[in-house]
Amino acid sequence: MVDTIEGFFQQLVDQQPQPLLSKVRGTVRFHLLDPQLGDDHWLVAIDHGDVSASHAEGNADCVIRADKAFFERLVQGRENAIAAMLRGAIVCSGDVELLLAIQRIFPGPPKRQTTGQRGVSQ
Amino acid sequence: MTADQVRILHGNTFVVSDARGDIEASATDPTGLFSFDTRFLSRWVLTVDNQRLTALSTDDLQYFEARFFLVPGTGTVYVDSKQSVIRQRSVGNGFHEELSILNHADEPIDLTVRIEAACDFADLFEVKDALKKKGAYATQVEDGKLILRYQRETFVRATVISSSEPCQMAEDGLTFHIQVEPHGSWRTDLDVALSVPGASETGPSLLAWQAFRPVRDMAQDLQHWLHEAPRLECEWEPLRTSYRRSLVDLAALRFSPLSAAGRSLPAAGLPWFMTMFGRDSIFTSLQVLPYTQELAATTLRELGLRQGTRIDDFRDEDPGRILHEMRYGEMTAFEERPHSPYYGCADATALYVVLLDEYERWTGDLDLVRELEYEARAALNWIDAYADLQGNGYVSYQRRNEETGLENQCWKDSWDSIAYHDGRLPGFPRATCELQGYAYDAKMRAARLARLAWGDSAFADQLEQQAADLKRRFNQDFWVEDGEFFALALDADGSQVDSLTSNNGHLLWSGIVDDEKAEIVVRHLLGERLFSGWGIRTMAVGEGRYNPIGYHVGTVWPFDNSFIAWGLRRYGFKDEAAIVAAGILEAARFFDGRLPEAFGGYPRATTKYPVQYPTACSPQAWSTGTPLLLLRTMLGLEPVGDNLVVDAALPMSIGRLELLDIPGRWGRVDAFGRGRVITRQRTELP
Repeated sequence: MVDTIEGFFQQLVDQQPQPLLSKVRGTVRFHLLDPQLGDDHWLVAIDHGDVSASHAEGNADCVIRADKAFFERLVQGRENAIAAMLRGAIVCSGDVELLLAIQRIFPGPPKRQTTGQRGVSQ
Repeated sequence: MTADQVRILHGNTFVVSDARGDIEASATDPTGLFSFDTRFLSRWVLTVDNQRLTALSTDDLQYFEARFFLVPGTGTVYVDSKQSVIRQRSVGNGFHEELSILNHADEPIDLTVRIEAACDFADLFEVKDALKKKGAYATQVEDGKLILRYQRETFVRATVISSSEPCQMAEDGLTFHIQVEPHGSWRTDLDVALSVPGASETGPSLLAWQAFRPVRDMAQDLQHWLHEAPRLECEWEPLRTSYRRSLVDLAALRFSPLSAAGRSLPAAGLPWFMTMFGRDSIFTSLQVLPYTQELAATTLRELGLRQGTRIDDFRDEDPGRILHEMRYGEMTAFEERPHSPYYGCADATALYVVLLDEYERWTGDLDLVRELEYEARAALNWIDAYADLQGNGYVSYQRRNEETGLENQCWKDSWDSIAYHDGRLPGFPRATCELQGYAYDAKMRAARLARLAWGDSAFADQLEQQAADLKRRFNQDFWVEDGEFFALALDADGSQVDSLTSNNGHLLWSGIVDDEKAEIVVRHLLGERLFSGWGIRTMAVGEGRYNPIGYHVGTVWPFDNSFIAWGLRRYGFKDEAAIVAAGILEAARFFDGRLPEAFGGYPRATTKYPVQYPTACSPQAWSTGTPLLLLRTMLGLEPVGDNLVVDAALPMSIGRLELLDIPGRWGRVDAFGRGRVITRQRTELP
């Protein structure tokens, strides 16, 4: 489970600058709840597309709290962050613009059931 | 929506009650206190000594407050009114109600005052479709507050009711045992607060914070809003009425998403569409640019922030696509509806770029154009890479969410709106003509912005080449030779969907029409088959599906006409634009200046008055914006560089017209005009 999440943050750092985050400046802390293995914290600092991520607690402009298992599904594109926030599956506090910005980098659903008629995607 | 219902609102929070102020909602009845697309109160019934009350009068003070004058007792015979009851209610985050009871007798009086309260926490979608709830209810009295609560898994919504005066709180409501002195009065303040529980270590969650964020002084805010708008002086009273009505309604239609830090964008309509819509928010922002520019800026920022980034079939999302509709209720939360947000519209993405350019032309705000360069480029990329479903160089649509997605992803979104001349419906994908116009305009305007603000003339050249190519192909492929007009759409085979519709007018607005074809197109628009005398019909008389009260197949839509008038001006048909404006503005007189979403396409000579199409939603944002855009087109307001050019062509009936203090990159300027276009014989003014 940790591998998926770790991989997500690693990729975030490796693939910078992130164009979707180019206007964003601030810190987001992911508080991932795990009653068995203990909670995890990821502190992501974004500075106009440059991203760093670390296992730190500390203060952040936006805090996103979710079950670790749920967050894993989120970074795999199996869950949608906005719908999850509306139903309380993830709880966010702080700067909402950061939440909206950061949810844009979560991937889409893994399986595509398209009509097969779409044009070239890039 | 029945006539004696009273509605007040603030943002996406609104209360619909009967004329007494009572709420008695059933599962399918759209009354109650709503916020975030959820009903937070479905029962709120006042009794005095076990008697219901009778309304003497109801005042809609402002769009956010109402006052109910009541007497105890019901019945047709006049009731004994030794007491009167006043409820003054204002909506904010939830609502606040001042309940006063006046004793007009010479003796003191003991009364039992009761308010029954309950809530079903229905999602707006459930109210429409009468669906069953899946969660559990709990009601409790805690710290002198009555808490109504609903929970489904992690989804929790609650209503917290409190009173300033002591009362007995029970699970079904509040009871006051009071004594009122002779000629005295008693009053309590009731608070109905929304609660979206959920907190983290750093404070309340975003949703909870949104529910509790302070309400600004709404009366002062409305005054400020009206004060900031240009002033209209006009000899023709109906236009003054429409103008004032539009400004107040526009104020009510403002919606401030949590991320907008108090700034507003236009929601689509009251009360059921008080949310962000790509198409509606953009069209309305375009209509009102000469009057207020904040709405456009917020629309651009907020839609940009929610621009699609991935491929998600359930939401019909693609990278770069601008959203269609955002919803916040339970069914959206549990993905029983795709509105988180839903992206199934094929026009908003191109229109987004159009708005960005038009906004810059009015404001000179290059900073925003630079800030949104990424979003604009992503939108342009969507047009080429994702919207060309057939690989033929045209924008078309076909939903991927077959269950809850939208079939028709253009503004004429009803099931039978896109039809051949013989009435058949085409298959999918469908490439409606106005989508090509918007794409053309988006490319041309983006080319200007690329040179002006993005320092990318190569991109500008490329966009202009693409636009020129699109225009050339479009004028061949969509032109119906024997009818001499543009086809409504191309079907899946690339064949023409050959009915004559108002979409031809949007093509003029976008500039995609070859100059030599414009005159014949205008002749169609103002001809008997399309022009009713009040306005241009969505579909022409004689088409297979034509129906004067068919939603998109024969009715007249004021918003449609306002953009067509703009299109007529674009091609130099000033008098024709004045005729369309005159027809629509004369129709507005029959609705106290508030234009409905649509009215019947009957010939004006037959009905003498415009027959309103029955819809639940009024005011509708783009109908509200219509008189404002028509004022622009009649005055011929056009930003050119740092100046505002005025080139008036007004209907004779309007007389002298002045629009003072028009804001823009020039500061504030005035525009004047005098009626000279004789529209009477065309609109058959009595």
